[in-house]
Amino acid sequence: MTLRLQPVQVGTGSFDVDGQLVFDDDLLAAVLVRLSEVHEDLAGMWFLEAGFGLVGTAHRPTFAELDAAQTWIGQRLAHEA
Amino acid sequence: MNAAADQSAMTMLIRKLESIAALSDKERRAIQSLPGRIQNLGAQQDIVRDGDQPKHCCVILDGWACRYKLLSQGRRQILSFHISGDIPDLPSLHVPTMDHSIATLTKAVVALIPHESLRELTARHPGIAAAFWRDTLVDAGIFRAWLISLGQRSAFEHVAHLFCELYLKLQAVGLAGDHRCPLPITQADIADALGLTPVHVNRVLQEMRGRTLITLRGRMLVIQAWDELLRLSEFDPTYLQLERRAAG
Repeated sequence: MTLRLQPVQVGTGSFDVDGQLVFDDDLLAAVLVRLSEVHEDLAGMWFLEAGFGLVGTAHRPTFAELDAAQTWIGQRLAHEA
Repeated sequence: MNAAADQSAMTMLIRKLESIAALSDKERRAIQSLPGRIQNLGAQQDIVRDGDQPKHCCVILDGWACRYKLLSQGRRQILSFHISGDIPDLPSLHVPTMDHSIATLTKAVVALIPHESLRELTARHPGIAAAFWRDTLVDAGIFRAWLISLGQRSAFEHVAHLFCELYLKLQAVGLAGDHRCPLPITQADIADALGLTPVHVNRVLQEMRGRTLITLRGRMLVIQAWDELLRLSEFDPTYLQLERRAAG
């Protein structure tokens, strides 16, 4: 499984606009958004703004690094998480 | 301390009950003479746990508490918020096994009243039994309102609805006025109560501030545009059944 990132601006209705589309091959699996300064201790972290299919979860996590986010998404897609 | 609780200890309970029902002087005196063990608790401390079979009920005298249920992977659903005068485990008087936990959210002072004393009180004073029943029914109304918010309201409307509810509940027991009230809970607590992420709660609060609907300073919520907040969240206070309906 190869995940591919594509930078995107996301209209979250907040200051959190810098995002990444995460593709699993050609299928959109998730949208990650980098949290802005208003989030204080979470600022700079990556938030699972949306997850599709196996990546969808009510308890949407936040990741310190994009790599960690991709690992987690990969595990979800492989039914491991 | 394991003596009759200080008379003033039960004042908040009386105030709470009188916000939803009328009490006679005799009934007030009977409540004031309830025995209770006063406990000072830290924040985030369990009072009663899921599966417990408590032999007493807990009146919150000071601070905030919540009912909650834990799920796997540390997920927590907060089921209700409680303030001074509330008895969140009142149902344990008739339903022996707890199906959820109750914990403090802030430092708190509680009075533990033996079930036996409450049974005696309600047997002698049917008016108090009716007030407790009414309190339980109002509680059910609050759960219905939360269910509507969970199912139908946007994150923004949901937070707005919660703020209107908390303000009116605090005002009813004399802990709020002029559209200002203490809000000593965290954004994570609000998120766990509303089924949102802390990120979304923070975004909603930023938007509310940006639209000058509210300000949050030092654990104090100031509602700057009460009517607007009511309108946006379609808030109808009927479900709180407050005797002295707040003019707002």
